[in-house]
Amino acid sequence: MVRFKSRYLLCEVSFADPRSRQCLEERAIFSAVRDAIARAHGDYGAACCAVSFAVKYLNAYTGILLLRCRKEHYRLLWSALPFIIHLESRGQRQPCRISSIHVGGTIRTCQRFLIRYNRQQLLRMLPGCQSEEERASVHRAVLSCSLKQLEEEGGSRDEDSD
Amino acid sequence: MTGDIYYMFLAVEYFAADCIHSMRRHDTKDPETASYERLVFRNASDYHYMKISLIFEGGNIRLNAAHFKQLIISSLRELYGEIGAALPFDVLKFEENTLSAVLRVYSSALVRLWSALTLLGGYQGQPCGVRVVQVTPFLLALSGNSRELKLD
Repeated sequence: MVRFKSRYLLCEVSFADPRSRQCLEERAIFSAVRDAIARAHGDYGAACCAVSFAVKYLNAYTGILLLRCRKEHYRLLWSALPFIIHLESRGQRQPCRISSIHVGGTIRTCQRFLIRYNRQQLLRMLPGCQSEEERASVHRAVLSCSLKQLEEEGGSRDEDSD
Repeated sequence: MTGDIYYMFLAVEYFAADCIHSMRRHDTKDPETASYERLVFRNASDYHYMKISLIFEGGNIRLNAAHFKQLIISSLRELYGEIGAALPFDVLKFEENTLSAVLRVYSSALVRLWSALTLLGGYQGQPCGVRVVQVTPFLLALSGNSRELKLD
């Protein structure tokens, strides 16, 4: 049976200025990635990746981004991501960097990877905690990371808080 | 085309360094007879050579080899972007009078270069086209062309 297979690229957007993370928009990312592919891979690359390209998920607080594209051309998209140096939103240009952390075939595998990744990031934050309350809240966040709990809640797509 | 097959057989016998799959047969009954080695190549050659000629609608257009290479690179950049413009290819020969050239490109990049040559639009506002005369994996085959063969 013919089925359109896609690849989901899980990426992390990091800014030079941490405060500008709040103004992250899906439209800005969409146009920035599309222009980067057109510059890096020309008309051929722009056409290949434009067919089924979408920004599936964007979290402004953590800077996590999920992009989708066709399975045959995901390498074109992947190789064009390092060429993005700024994002334009509301007339402002903010220098940023997009690095990909995982490639998955479905949204669910990317979600599973993201939960494990977030747990590692939280554990990495633990030694840097200043006070007991912060330490306790990080402990609670780490313990609450689990896919089973999310599935019990009815399959909501929200990821764990930072 | 028969010229290519002849040279391909020559390559099979002489170029042992690029073998991808080799079979050895040892005659166990009579150890004195020499065992032969059969080499099978999936890929004829690393490079492909193209003989092309640039055709302008009219007027005297003078190009030198550097402008010609720049023209091809700009066409590659339009179609395949910055990464495509970095495709390594060489202009082995360029004749200014007839505007014909011999290009060399890696076999894996042949399709990209050929498609960029097909979609070449113009040079400095003048429309032009590329006519591909011959494409071969062996340089020796460019010396003769059955289309220009004269039988006495």
